[in-house]
Amino acid sequence: MDFEFNDDQAAILDGLDQMLAGLRIEAPKHGETVVFAATLDDQLAASGFLDIGREQGFSTLESALIAERLARLPVAVEASSSAIIGLLFPAGEVERPLAVVQGSPLMPARFLPQAHSLLVDRGDDLLHISVDRARVEPVESLFAYPYGRLTSLDGLETRSLGEAPLAPFRRRWRMAMAAECAGLMRSALDTVLEHVKTRQQFGRPLGSFQAVQHRLAMASGTMNATYWLAMRAAWSDSDSDTAIAAAYAQDAIPTFTYDLHQFCGAMGLTLEFPLHYWTYRLKALLGELGGSSAQARAASALTWAQD
Amino acid sequence: MEFGWSEEENVYRARVRSILAKSLPDDWDEIAVHGPGSHMQTEFSRQFCKLLADEGLLIPHWPSEFGGADGKSWDHFILGEEIWAAGEPRGPQYMNVNWIGPVLMQYATRAQQEKYLPPIVAGDVIWCQGFSEPSSGSDLASLRTKAERTEGGYIVNGAKVWTSYAGLADQCFLLTRTSAGKGGIAILLVDMKSPGISVKQIPALIGEGDIHEVFFTDVFVREENRLGAEGQAWEIISYALQNERIGIPRYEFARRILDRAIDKLKADGRFDDPVVQDRAGRVLAKCEAARLMVYRVVDERAHKAPASAFGNLARFSVVQADHAVSDFMLEYMPEGMLGADPMQQAHHQRAIAAGIASGAAEIQLNLAARRYLELPSETSRGL
Repeated sequence: MDFEFNDDQAAILDGLDQMLAGLRIEAPKHGETVVFAATLDDQLAASGFLDIGREQGFSTLESALIAERLARLPVAVEASSSAIIGLLFPAGEVERPLAVVQGSPLMPARFLPQAHSLLVDRGDDLLHISVDRARVEPVESLFAYPYGRLTSLDGLETRSLGEAPLAPFRRRWRMAMAAECAGLMRSALDTVLEHVKTRQQFGRPLGSFQAVQHRLAMASGTMNATYWLAMRAAWSDSDSDTAIAAAYAQDAIPTFTYDLHQFCGAMGLTLEFPLHYWTYRLKALLGELGGSSAQARAASALTWAQD
Repeated sequence: MEFGWSEEENVYRARVRSILAKSLPDDWDEIAVHGPGSHMQTEFSRQFCKLLADEGLLIPHWPSEFGGADGKSWDHFILGEEIWAAGEPRGPQYMNVNWIGPVLMQYATRAQQEKYLPPIVAGDVIWCQGFSEPSSGSDLASLRTKAERTEGGYIVNGAKVWTSYAGLADQCFLLTRTSAGKGGIAILLVDMKSPGISVKQIPALIGEGDIHEVFFTDVFVREENRLGAEGQAWEIISYALQNERIGIPRYEFARRILDRAIDKLKADGRFDDPVVQDRAGRVLAKCEAARLMVYRVVDERAHKAPASAFGNLARFSVVQADHAVSDFMLEYMPEGMLGADPMQQAHHQRAIAAGIASGAAEIQLNLAARRYLELPSETSRGL
């Protein structure tokens, strides 16, 4: 048991931070609901960070560390699916960026406008679709991810991967979601902490009021627990740990995002204030893979079925 | 970063389990159900802790110069998890090994260490903590029990309340006031057989023998029994509470009680209900969140890092987990509180104290807000 980074993990994250520093990524000052980081996407693909889990001596834990770190950015980039779910397939077999969806392949999916592959959990099999971007219709939303939907499947290359990959696919989806939630929560909380330390009302900083302090302390507990559950899940790559991590994260999202927006008042409702870049990705993740109830039931079934 | 137990740690855990299995009597559940402060459990602790001491498992985490084995922080928690989840056969003596001993090692004089530590090491002394008072609960620094200087020591007058384990205690870790303010508090190590001390048990929801009123009337305490300097008490208390707040691995007992509840629900054919599975999954996630939050604090200790206010966050998560498990069972297994499962009631009784003992959950949030999140104090004013 060791909660500190080993030398390799520290070096990987240091390298990632250096790459990000060079890109000078900042929250957009103009009013947009979502910003896709195309340059960062290109650099991630070229740098090998998203394939780190394939390297000797590394695993999904290092992939999750990268996914969490990238989720802290105010811009959206498809990283967690590629870095974590993508490891299920031989290198090059499923081309990134990846979009994932449950149910119908015609449902709106995150990152579909940029994706080369769409993976669809159809309940009884996993479907792989090679995406023709010309066939993707953008979907406008408040969620701070780019969304799109396929206009039809006609003429697209689709391939059923069968039922066997469904369980590992869901496991990795949950892992990716939990790691991403942890990074999103961290930046959202940091943004609000900075705000309440400086914003003055009734002659004192908002953050000096106990009613605010308690809820922010609880939010910090939520963020930290989400992070450690996600990292343990990424370390063990076990069905139950990943379901627990995703259940905890999704269960926490409503209270977490509500409180953070409350403390920013009307300012937090504007597109100019960056909070929504993280909270509206969290809100998008709340409904993924069936939502918190599906994850909680999976956690129950997977944990206590093993007894 | 990694989250597995080493082979050595697994062997250690197996050894603790094996010793528990062979040393707990057949009627242990009936003893444990009354709580660590009960007469039966306290008396049992006197023989059990001696046995643990003989096995080298009472204070393995202590430094060897004080009788320990220089054990690892993680081993201390493995031991704590197994013993607390078994119903805490160390009774009140868990406090001795978790924080009273470590505080004495840190702040006591050599003579005090020679007097007070050997009985703890041998497993045959019961301590109580004289902290709260009728008018000083969460606001501990407002305590009034007075220690007035007299020749050779102090005369103590006042009352403590909600004092755990006082009925059978041999010694009291007593907070007293010598002058005004936080700097005017002194810690006295008081023999509970001293003339002028009387103890009255308070009937409570949390079990027999757990909380008491303790009255001090002209109790003489020698100066050599004061721990640290008069102005040093708050520093010592803060150090003590850092050890105390995550000292009990409550998440482990909560998780095992939850596992047990699921077994019963399965046996009754009720676990197929998706609503039950949903609720159980959310409660399970809270338990595991609490576990990792506490482990994060243990990891700080293992790396010899100074204690941080993360412990306050961890404590809060443990309270949430304990209550979540208890509430789950109240909703889906109410029969357990109606005589069908005494251990369910025992867990409930521990859970309802979790957010109150050793500093209320809201105090943990105050401390986390100020020390961990570095939010401004309530007295901050605008520029």
